[in-house]
Amino acid sequence: MESEDDIIDDLVSMEDDFYSGDFSDYYDDPNDEDNDYYSDGDDDYGLLEDDEDDQEAVVSRRDQLGYTVLKEADIKQRQEDDISKVSTVLSISRVDATLLLRYYNWSVSKVHDEWFADEEGVRQTVGLLETPVVQVSNARELTCGICFESLPRDNITSAACGHPFCRTCWQGYICTTINDGPGCLSLRCPVPSCNAAVGQDMIDKLATIEEKKKYSRYLLRSYIEDNRKTKWCPAPGCEFAVDFAVGGGNFDVSCICSRNFCWNCTEEAHRPVDCNTVAKWILKNSAESENMNWILANSKPCPKCKRPIEKNQGCMHMTCTPPCKFEFCWLCLGTWSEHGERTGGFYACNRYEAAKQEGVYDEAERRREMAKNSLEKYTHYYERWASNQLSRQKALADLNQMQTVQLEKLSDLQCTPESQLKFITEAWLQIVECRRVLKWTYAYGYYLPEHEHAKRQFFEYLQGEAESGLERLHQCAEKELNKFILCDGPSKEFDEFRAKLAGLTSVTKNYFENLVRALENGLADVDSQAVAACSKTTSSKNLGGTSKGRGGRGKGSSKTGGSSRNVDDTSN
Amino acid sequence: MANSNLPRRIIKETQRLLSEPAPGISASPSEDNMRYFNVMILGPTQSPYEGGVFKLELFLPEEYPMAAPKVRFLTKIYHPNIDKLGRICLDILKDKWSPALQIRTVLLSIQALLSAPNPDDPLSENIAKHWKTNEAEAVETAKEWTRLYASGA
Repeated sequence: MESEDDIIDDLVSMEDDFYSGDFSDYYDDPNDEDNDYYSDGDDDYGLLEDDEDDQEAVVSRRDQLGYTVLKEADIKQRQEDDISKVSTVLSISRVDATLLLRYYNWSVSKVHDEWFADEEGVRQTVGLLETPVVQVSNARELTCGICFESLPRDNITSAACGHPFCRTCWQGYICTTINDGPGCLSLRCPVPSCNAAVGQDMIDKLATIEEKKKYSRYLLRSYIEDNRKTKWCPAPGCEFAVDFAVGGGNFDVSCICSRNFCWNCTEEAHRPVDCNTVAKWILKNSAESENMNWILANSKPCPKCKRPIEKNQGCMHMTCTPPCKFEFCWLCLGTWSEHGERTGGFYACNRYEAAKQEGVYDEAERRREMAKNSLEKYTHYYERWASNQLSRQKALADLNQMQTVQLEKLSDLQCTPESQLKFITEAWLQIVECRRVLKWTYAYGYYLPEHEHAKRQFFEYLQGEAESGLERLHQCAEKELNKFILCDGPSKEFDEFRAKLAGLTSVTKNYFENLVRALENGLADVDSQAVAACSKTTSSKNLGGTSKGRGGRGKGSSKTGGSSRNVDDTSN
Repeated sequence: MANSNLPRRIIKETQRLLSEPAPGISASPSEDNMRYFNVMILGPTQSPYEGGVFKLELFLPEEYPMAAPKVRFLTKIYHPNIDKLGRICLDILKDKWSPALQIRTVLLSIQALLSAPNPDDPLSENIAKHWKTNEAEAVETAKEWTRLYASGA
C-alpha cells in the first residue's frame, strides 16, 4: 500500500510545478472582471459560494485528483446501479446481488472475480442457497422451530434453506437483529448450523415500517462506510458523502455543506500538517477532558476499525461489533488467528509481557518528570493554535457581515458598484484561509523535534513572518476599511486603499502558499529562492511588529509570542 | 406475577425438560418464578469433574428466546472458561445466540464444555495459564476442587 509519506512526496512535487512562483500573477488588477471568480449570487448563499471559490487554486488540482460529493439520491442511484450490474451479469436476483455486494464491501469487480473463480464457494460463504437443505413436508401443519407451536402452513415461512419458523417468531428475530445494529445486513437463518442468508425480501415481508426504514438506512450507510472509496462528510448533520479517487495526492476535500475536511483522516482540512500529527494534536487537546481520560483508561480502539471498545467482562478473545467483526486479543491487540503457542499462549502473549518488562515503569516515571516542562511547552502552542482558531471564526463572521451589510453600505458611500468591491471579500477569504494555515503551523511547531535547531529556527522565522504578514492584512481589512465605512461621503483615498488591500491580499496569499509547501516538504528542501523572495517582499513592504514569538517559546509566561495576535483579537 | 403470560415456548420447554431430561442434567423451574431454573449438571465421565454435582442458575430474560438465557455456576469450579463468580465464556450465550437454541441445548453445551475445557479462549486467565503450562497439575486441581466443592454431600 502507498504510504502517506509517498503520497505527500508526490503532492509536493506536483506543487512544485503548480506554484512555480511567478508573483506577477497575483498582482492582476483586482478590478479586472476576467479575474472575477465570484458569481453575482444571492447574498444568502454568498458565503458558501465564495468559500468554494476561495479554493479556486486548489480546485484545478482537485479536478486532476477527482472526488465527487454525493447526495443521498446519488448514493441510492449508485447503489441501485451496482446491484443491477451484478444482478444482470451473474443472473441472480437483486436481493442476492445485494447480499453479495454487501459481503464484498460493495466492490463490483471483487464480486465478479470471486464469483467466476468459485461460484459454489461464494454461495456457501455468503449463504445463497440454490436448493433447500430441508425437505418441507406436505403436512398441513408445521412446527415452528422457535415457539414450538404447530401452525397452519400459511403461517410458516423460511429462508432459502427451508427451516420452518412462524411469522411471529421471524418478526421477533428480525426485529431483534435490526435493533442490534448494522449486523442485520448479514442476517442468517436462526438455525445455528445453517448459514442461509436472510435478504431484503424477507425483511420487506416481515418487518415493521420502522424496522424497514432502519434496515434501508443501514444498507445505505453500508454502501458508504464499507466501501473503501467513500466516506461521509464529518460535519454534524451533513448527509453528503464523498467519493474519492484513492491514490491521488492531496486529501483536502470540500463538501457541498461547505465543510472542508481531510478525506484521509476526516478531520478538518489541515494542510500543511500531516494526518498523524493532527491526530496526535487533537488527542492531546482533548486529553485534558474527563471524557478522553475515561476513554483512554477504559477502552482500546479496535485495531481494525478504530472504534473505541470497552471491555467490561469476559475473555481476552474480542470480537468487534458488526460489520467490523475483527477478532483480536485484548492484551496485545494482535489478530486472534495469529495467537497460539508462538505468542506464548492465548492468555498471556509475549508482546504484552515484553512491553511491560521493557520498562513501563521507567516510562511512567519519565513522563511524570517531563510533565511539567512539556505542559508549559504545550500550553504555549495550544494557546496560539486556539486563538488562531478563534480569530478565524471571527473573521468568518466578519466576512459574512461584510457580504450581507457592509458592502452595500460602502458601495453607496463611495459611489462604487458592489462588483468593484470584490477585493474586500477576497481579502477576507484570504484571512480566513491564512488563519487556518497559521493555526496548524502551531501543531507543526509543537511536534518539530527539539534537537533540530536549524529547522526550528527557520520554521519560527517563517511562522513569524507569516503571522506578521497576516496581521497586517487583517488590520488593513478591518481597521483601515472602517474609515471608509464610517465617513460621510466618497473619499479620494479609497482607490489607494483598494490597491493596498489587493496587494496585501496577493502577497499574503503567495507567502502562505509557499509556507504550506515548505512545511509539507518537512523544511528539508525549501525553495530558498521563493523564501528569499517572500521575505524580501514582506520586508520591503515594511511589515510592522514582526519577529515576536521566536525567542520566548516554551519559557515561562509565554506572553511575548502572542502579543501581535492579542492585539488582533481585542481589536476584533 | 412473573408467571402470568408465560410464553407457550417456555412452558413447553419446561415440560420437556421435566419429562425427558437430558442425561446428566436436571433443570426445574423455581416455584415463584417460572423463568428462574435451578440446574444440576453431573460432571461428565472421564473429565476432571467426574463424580461432581454442579449447581447452576439459569434465568430466561423477558426477551427470551430472542435473547440468550443467563446462566451461572453456583458451585465453585476450577475451569479455564468459568470465572470465580461462576460466569461462563461460551459463544452461544453471547453473540452466537439464536432463538432456535433452547435451554436444553445450552445446558448440553455447558456439559460439553466441562468435558473439553478450552484454555485458548479463557475467562479465568490464571486457570488457563495453569492449564496451558501444566495440564496434568491443573487437572489435579480441578479434581481436588470437585471433591471439595461438588461432592454432592
